[in-house]
Amino acid sequence: MLFNSFEFFIFLPIVFALYWFVLNKKLSIQNVLLLVASYVFYGWWDVRFLSLIMLSTILDYFVGLKIHNTEEPKKRKYWLWLSMGFNLGLLGFFKYFNFFVDSWITAFNSIGVKMDPFSLNIILPVGISFYTFQTMSYSLDIHKRKLVPTKNFVAFATFVAFFPQLVAGPIERASNLLPQFLKRRKFDNKLAIDGLRQMLWGLFKKVIIADNCAPYVNDIFADYSAQSSGTLILGVIVFAFQIYADFSGYTDIAIGTARLFGFDFKRNFNFPYFSRNISEFWKRWHISLSSWLNDYVFTPLAINFRNYKKQGIFAALFLTFLISGLWHGAGWTFIIWGGLHGLYYIPVIFSKKRFTSISTNKGGSKKQEFVISDVPKMILTFLMVCLTYIFFRAASVADALGYIKIIFTELPSWPSGVPYKSILFIIILMTAEWFQRGKEHGLQFNEDTRVPVYLRWIIYISLVLLILIFSGEQQQFIYFQF
Amino acid sequence: MSNYIAEFETLFRDVLENDDIVLTNETTAHDIEEWDSINHIYLVVEIEKHFKIKFSSSEILQWQNVGEMIQSVEAQK
Repeated sequence: MLFNSFEFFIFLPIVFALYWFVLNKKLSIQNVLLLVASYVFYGWWDVRFLSLIMLSTILDYFVGLKIHNTEEPKKRKYWLWLSMGFNLGLLGFFKYFNFFVDSWITAFNSIGVKMDPFSLNIILPVGISFYTFQTMSYSLDIHKRKLVPTKNFVAFATFVAFFPQLVAGPIERASNLLPQFLKRRKFDNKLAIDGLRQMLWGLFKKVIIADNCAPYVNDIFADYSAQSSGTLILGVIVFAFQIYADFSGYTDIAIGTARLFGFDFKRNFNFPYFSRNISEFWKRWHISLSSWLNDYVFTPLAINFRNYKKQGIFAALFLTFLISGLWHGAGWTFIIWGGLHGLYYIPVIFSKKRFTSISTNKGGSKKQEFVISDVPKMILTFLMVCLTYIFFRAASVADALGYIKIIFTELPSWPSGVPYKSILFIIILMTAEWFQRGKEHGLQFNEDTRVPVYLRWIIYISLVLLILIFSGEQQQFIYFQF
Repeated sequence: MSNYIAEFETLFRDVLENDDIVLTNETTAHDIEEWDSINHIYLVVEIEKHFKIKFSSSEILQWQNVGEMIQSVEAQK
């Protein structure tokens, strides 16, 4: 079920009413309701997907308890590997099987060993990369004795499948989300209203910005060789805003929905396009994935490589970004996208004696102080990110290289078919976010906000009208494919 | 223990280039802006160098706060 669909528009109020007004007597019944609702939400795509998530849930529930109750380190490791092997196996088969087979055959063919192409018709279950990462972190944290597993199976199953964040995150950690299923939730008016505002803001980003940018970007990438360099530059810049509006819009709706049910998710985006360097960008973009990779991939690798000093840290970082690329999609374009981000850290790591002078705020909610000299740094960081998006969006590595070649070899020209309407919406988005950069989302009004109530209502009504009048043709959320 | 805290504080201030850092046993990476994942590795390296010890990888990964880091040093002294 899509957030921006008619079904969800019906589904959400029904679940909300049952949750707060009908089945509100017992916590366990509320959790059962959320679990059933989550399975309905997920099964809406394809009922067969449910078997995989249920299997993963049952296995990780028992493995979690086993790891916790076992003292012998070897046996603990054995149980951990069972969980990791199963989840990575699911991912490997459903997401990467054909990619690995294709790459293998191409490699053999290139050295003269002839092999016939072979592939299986595998459907990628929606959200598999998200929930497998969530359950893996559960087992890993228990193994590190940083988390005590729950015996409450329904709470655990709901934690894995909770519909607001099931298909495209945020990838929640058990340490934050699981305890929220185990204690009584109270309806908090303020939280719920803020949730509604965040949902409205997310919907605006998705249906007004992302869906309106999509046709322009699709046309350019589908036929890049016929375009001028100016059009190609604008195409990738528009894509940068499309993907940001699409994914952070989804996240806003997810966080807002969770708030309606009394849950608090961790923040996933912190106005990433205001970043002044690549390290800051990764502290502000898809925070739940980057912190996951940081905790379970980068840090263990860097600790093992620490005797190699800066080279060791860079190697760990580069490998982490390659894995991040592969997480996004089974293709060389994504691996190169990740690799480029890794390479961008070379000046960050090697140029200074210490890393501190370039590392910045940790995504807190305090209003970050920017100075005028930050503007060129922001633009440069944005353009560097745009360059990687060419690989992210292109159908193949050859297409991406062709696209870049035209940009850098042809004389700059004014782009054709400029989507002025979309650009106007992008300007509105970025202006609002600039003024709201100290807040959690673009439409948050709390005690220290000096926006009068009548003006707030003008903003809400304008956004609803914009959504009704200017919504683009419904597009699937980009991150659903991952 | 208090001696170690003082030594840790000096190391933290040096690596994180912030003379205002004050440590307690309960301090975590969330409390210090400059203490991010990359600087964490530099901190580990400097602590090992300063105390002339070597931590195991699994030990490092289990640390939750400064107090646990100090316990790891004490265990080897």
